Amino acid sequence: MKNFRDIEQLSAYLDGQLNPSDSARLESRINTDPELASALSDLRSARSILRKLPKRKAPRNFTLTRQMVGLKPPLPRTFSFFRFSTAFATFLLMLTFAANLLIPRISFGAGAPMMAQEAYGMGGGGCDPCLPEAAATEAPLAIEAAPAATEAPVATEAPALAPSADTNIAPTATAPIATEDTARMAETPIAKTAENTPAPQGQPPAAKETLIPLSWQAVLLAIVLISAATAFIIRQNAKKKWS
Amino acid sequence: MDETALIHSAQTGDLDSFNTLILHYQDSVFHTALRITGDEDLAQDAAQEAFISAFRSISTFRGGSFKAWLMRMVTNACYDEFRRQKRRPTTPLEPDTADGEEIDSPRWLADPNMTPAEMSEAVELEHAIQHCLDALPTEFRAVVVLADIQGMDYSEVAIASRVPLGTIKSRLARARLRLRECLRGFEELLPSSFRLQEEGNS
Repeated sequence: MKNFRDIEQLSAYLDGQLNPSDSARLESRINTDPELASALSDLRSARSILRKLPKRKAPRNFTLTRQMVGLKPPLPRTFSFFRFSTAFATFLLMLTFAANLLIPRISFGAGAPMMAQEAYGMGGGGCDPCLPEAAATEAPLAIEAAPAATEAPVATEAPALAPSADTNIAPTATAPIATEDTARMAETPIAKTAENTPAPQGQPPAAKETLIPLSWQAVLLAIVLISAATAFIIRQNAKKKWS
Repeated sequence: MDETALIHSAQTGDLDSFNTLILHYQDSVFHTALRITGDEDLAQDAAQEAFISAFRSISTFRGGSFKAWLMRMVTNACYDEFRRQKRRPTTPLEPDTADGEEIDSPRWLADPNMTPAEMSEAVELEHAIQHCLDALPTEFRAVVVLADIQGMDYSEVAIASRVPLGTIKSRLARARLRLRECLRGFEELLPSSFRLQEEGNS
């Protein structure tokens, strides 16, 4: 038995895989070495038998079906459009529900004190759009107006140098005037807001109103249903054509 | 058959084009799978799996020998079948003879017009060769099947086996040597036309 390097060379020589110089060198060795020639003969015989092996035909066809390879039917572009519109309309619908549910709570809950403070800082006078709660916090203005009115006697202390029955009456006469003016000014917003609040007891009507009208939600719902149904029909038709 | 055009169509997802390629190659693929696995049912499963894998990954085919690329799918599918068999060994349902040997079934013979004598010779030869092939390590068997039975050149075998050219040469030489030794034991059983003898010119 020759070494494996020789066997490998002989096998490659048999298949014509040696370069010309290696082939020539091996051929000269084969001619002079009977053992090498015998090994080549053995390899050639083995290859010959394998090549004579009868070819077996496939017992059945191996052609593939669409189901076997998981192919899906080609869908028209309109399907993508309706699928997108379904998703988008659904998103908008959910957004309207969320807006109607959350925004009133935010504006009439945590936001109210801020609005009241703003109204207070501005003097709170004559604001029609003021909310009832904000108007209610303006009551201290009216209370503060009373001490302002009581300061009037201090301003009219000069006549007190010549006390008389008239001068004693004068401060008391001016005080009610000042009190009425300031009280009128202070009470004006309250009176106006009181007119705007027909139901002082219970929840204000603004809280019951929805931010997004119900009709909008109905339209969105209709779009969702129609788009989804159309997309479904398109897909079914494509499947029928595919099969 | 314009193979290149069919491959391009298949790469765009055209199953009909790929099925045309299957019809062209299915005999070679099945025959290769049969020689590697040594079992007809396993070979059918491997061939089917190979074609499914080939279609799914045909976009990765970058030209060259399509047959070599397809044979790589087949050898991989055969290795997968071997692994599956090891995990879940099965018992053949085919009946045995009284002395426990499998009954030879002529249904798989290539040529239905063979005479009984030729058929008998072919059966003996095929059994002997398959026995010797089965005795080879799997990677040697794949190489010798692709090179000597399918007639592929070394570079194609290297592509199909995903091993370097030098390894192909080495494995092929070893496989031929072992086959030669194995077939010596069957020489008396083989029909005269298939006795091991020197070829005139290869």
